[in-house]
Amino acid sequence: MFRNYLLTAWKVFMRRKLFTAINLLCIVLTLVVLMVFASLLETAFRPSGVEGKSDRFLQVYMVHMESPNGAGRMNTPPGFKLIDKYLKPMPGVERVAAVTLPTSVSVYQDRNVSELKMRRADADYWKVLDFRLLAGRLPTAQDDAAGRMIAVLNATSARRLFPGAPKAALGQRIDVGGQVFEVVGVVEDAMHLNAYADIWAPISTFPTSDYRNQLTGMFSALVLAERAADLPRIREQVARIARGVVHDDPKQWPKIRFWADSKLDLFSRILTFNEDQPDSGAGKVLAGIAVAMLVFMLLPALNLVNLNTGRIMERRSEIGVRKAFGATSSQLAVQLVIENVLLCLAGGLIALAATAGVLAWLESADLIPYLQVDLNLAVFGWGMLIATVFGLLSGVLPAWKMSRLDPVHALKGAI
Amino acid sequence: MIRLSNVSKTYRTDKVETLALKDVDLHVKKGEFVAMMGPSGCGKSTLLNVIGLLDRPGQGSVEVEGIPITRYRDKQVANLRNSTFGFIFQSFHLIPDLRVIDNVELPLLYRKMGAGERRRLARQALEKVGLSARMDHYPNQLSGGQQQRVAIARAIVGEPQVLLADEPTGNLDSKMGEEVMDILLKLNEEGTTVVMVTHDEREARRTNRIVRVFDGQLVA
Repeated sequence: MFRNYLLTAWKVFMRRKLFTAINLLCIVLTLVVLMVFASLLETAFRPSGVEGKSDRFLQVYMVHMESPNGAGRMNTPPGFKLIDKYLKPMPGVERVAAVTLPTSVSVYQDRNVSELKMRRADADYWKVLDFRLLAGRLPTAQDDAAGRMIAVLNATSARRLFPGAPKAALGQRIDVGGQVFEVVGVVEDAMHLNAYADIWAPISTFPTSDYRNQLTGMFSALVLAERAADLPRIREQVARIARGVVHDDPKQWPKIRFWADSKLDLFSRILTFNEDQPDSGAGKVLAGIAVAMLVFMLLPALNLVNLNTGRIMERRSEIGVRKAFGATSSQLAVQLVIENVLLCLAGGLIALAATAGVLAWLESADLIPYLQVDLNLAVFGWGMLIATVFGLLSGVLPAWKMSRLDPVHALKGAI
Repeated sequence: MIRLSNVSKTYRTDKVETLALKDVDLHVKKGEFVAMMGPSGCGKSTLLNVIGLLDRPGQGSVEVEGIPITRYRDKQVANLRNSTFGFIFQSFHLIPDLRVIDNVELPLLYRKMGAGERRRLARQALEKVGLSARMDHYPNQLSGGQQQRVAIARAIVGEPQVLLADEPTGNLDSKMGEEVMDILLKLNEEGTTVVMVTHDEREARRTNRIVRVFDGQLVA
């Protein structure tokens, strides 16, 4: 029976090639958009590459402060003092890293000036993130303690400043806004929340030590747990620590809150403005994404319902014959749904190839710097699941409607 | 074999009500060849559809081998159609995308049967109608007479007890019509009950019994 369903489906698809092509195009376009979106989400939030340990680290990115009676509110990145004094001593964690947010700097080289994104990080940063070292070495705690003027470049910046192999950059000196750094390492390009930058230097290379006394500033903290299961405890611990932090001006800012968030939580908190409460709003954001995807699928699905109804109506005589010879309504409905799901699965396979092409283009077009996004098995699985759901969504209604055709009317070619 | 008692059928649309059959009593015996005649629109095809369980009567009862099927559900009726009846239509109703052999196999798809057995029975049916050499052709590659013979092969492949033919020669020239009529007579001789709607008096005279329909009623 299934072989016959396949045979009939193939014949039906080939009967009206243009119609089939339009159907496929509709499916492919929808699925490509959904799968590119899913791939980007997967890359952003799943542990991978340089942030391969992100399933067991949390980040503190923002400090929420309120003036008395909640009259004034401020959200600002944490300062080094907050990380060093309150978070670093935290028990029950593997390590806590401090790193600045990326800022634009001018790198002077003979007569050339290059605009690069720079971070200053402590030695723990290099142990929390899994940078792939292409040449040289990574900064150590000793470098930080000694305030050594050393820098690490990413591959693109190393190539740009010192053409040739990554090794060519080692030992070279660069002038960053009047400070001279010796390049000691080159790492692979990385586009991740905590890793994105062109150049890194130890925190102690700041021109002044003022940063040490600042509770708020331009840092973020990465808290690495020993096990992923420790994360809920660490969240509570950080929230408790936040309640005990006293601002330098406690009358102005008596209330301070900050949260240790996963990447999804952080993204959701920013999106939902939930800076003042423990709930990041991730549930709402995920539900919103799911609803948006469903609506996005529903619109072309409705279009496909119309197209399918038209296509099936052309086959009412065949439906009448099949009924006359013993097909039940449910057998016919299953046949018509299978045809549609097969078409959608074929569309899904084409869409997968097209998605890989779109992602390769996104990487090469440099719209998002250092983007590296792959179509992995999970996305492939999701893609085929989406295709099946799409096939069911757009096939069930016309199939049900047509399977209930009265055989006498169907044989006469009427509805 | 089939008994219709007091069967009436009315078609309703928003504005019009058409009485297609009125108080029809008909008994088709096993092994009979019955011809149904009457002017266009008199209800012959409706009667044939009611006999073949394609249409349900508005009133009255239909019995197949003594079993009333009035309360049968969709699936039960479909199974009974599949096992008991074979249909031959005036306009053949072959599926154009399928090869001749696949068209003939169609009724067997709805039975629990392996692909090999289906293929064997379909070949056998095509041999009976003299078309075994055309099994890989598509319907549009055949003449009208050949297409109707394929339709007969499809109707008999499941070895139904009753063949219902709605003007099977209506779209054929006289020679081809004669060939189709010969096949039906032969099948009847082999024991298949045949009920045929026809406008052709000469064809009707070759059957066992002629039933005349006028304004939805049987007339003597």
